Amino acid sequence: MIRRFPGGRAIGAAMAAASCLLVLRLAAGRAPAAVKSAAVETPRTTEGHPVLSGVWIGVTGGAVLTAEDAGESIKVTLNARDGTPINFERDNTLLRRRDPNRPLYKPQFWEKVQQLDQNGNTEDPGYSCMPLGVPRMGPPNKIVQTPTEMIFLYQVRNTFRVIPTDGRAHTPDKDLEGTWMGESLGHWEGDTFVIDSVGFSDASWLDIAGYFHSEKMHVIERLRRQGNTLTWDVTVEDPDVLLKPWVMNPRTVRLNPDPKAVLAEDLPCQERDLAHLVTKEHH
Amino acid sequence: MKHGLIVAVAVLGVLWAAVPAFSHHAVQAQFDFNKPLTLTGVLTRVEWVNPHSYMFLDVKDAAGKVKKWALELVGPGGLRKAGLSRIDRGGFKIGDTITVKGFASKDGSDSGFVKELKLSDGRLVTIWFGDPNAR
Repeated sequence: MIRRFPGGRAIGAAMAAASCLLVLRLAAGRAPAAVKSAAVETPRTTEGHPVLSGVWIGVTGGAVLTAEDAGESIKVTLNARDGTPINFERDNTLLRRRDPNRPLYKPQFWEKVQQLDQNGNTEDPGYSCMPLGVPRMGPPNKIVQTPTEMIFLYQVRNTFRVIPTDGRAHTPDKDLEGTWMGESLGHWEGDTFVIDSVGFSDASWLDIAGYFHSEKMHVIERLRRQGNTLTWDVTVEDPDVLLKPWVMNPRTVRLNPDPKAVLAEDLPCQERDLAHLVTKEHH
Repeated sequence: MKHGLIVAVAVLGVLWAAVPAFSHHAVQAQFDFNKPLTLTGVLTRVEWVNPHSYMFLDVKDAAGKVKKWALELVGPGGLRKAGLSRIDRGGFKIGDTITVKGFASKDGSDSGFVKELKLSDGRLVTIWFGDPNAR
């Protein structure tokens, strides 16, 4: 599976494992400050808000396609330490799991989180091609900004979100049916676009490792454009299951400089390996 | 047909790591990388799905009986970019004879993980892992 993903996250110096260094070098571990876009002025709408429209891509990462004029072979190479599939998967697992920033669950849920994590192959809704939901789906790959709404388009699973910005209030809680992406409303706080989402079902996970949430989850996303970079900051509130709100690592994406850039169509997701999995290993 | 061209698609393995969100089962939960296998068969179907695409071969066993094998392909995006999803770009053609080198399933089912395949016109398609730091 080859994916282009926006954003990345800063990996702390605490990750000393040599096995991580290779992957780290290539990882989206560069802080937003490394992206030089200070010289570019943020375009604004007639109302004075930053324009967020555009195709947004990861600061690092993405497939590298090279074509050489020789021979007739096709070669797909996935980078891995020592070039082995085992390291490919396990190094990536280490990278994921060593981030000290994680949601802090109330003690009565620790057992549940562990159980879900260990049985991720059967329990993780993402594995069985269910929606990733908010916030797991991450920042959008394309934004279309209109005077009354923001439209977010996502390459992964060819999905979208429509976020009204007309000042309406949330639907009363008793009338919300509980969905994967919740009900999102957007407004501006200065130059920051704030998205407030409630009305979730409890089916999605916040991330790998069994990070479930309740229907009472409240997600606040903040998008801020500076020059040609966009930073996505998320806070997850779920006082029923979390000890405190989870402030996720910010993710930064940059504007695709190609004005004709289009989103690629994602292949359909279909889980067909479950019956053949012999171990519980996953990454 | 796109002959005369090596298309190398290097995918940063950290694409998974770069997105904390997406993850899936490990291929080593399903396939045994200590058990290589080689098969030759007739291509009957290709399914381009995520996270892993599949090709199906009718393979004759020692007794001459035809068995249906399911071969898993990782990196479908790269393979498609290289033209394998279109017959007019030298891609997979139903009915072609293909030789697969890969690894056997852990549960003994007629399935395998593809490392290399030889198309009927002799072209090689290799899907494997490489160390960009290797000297």
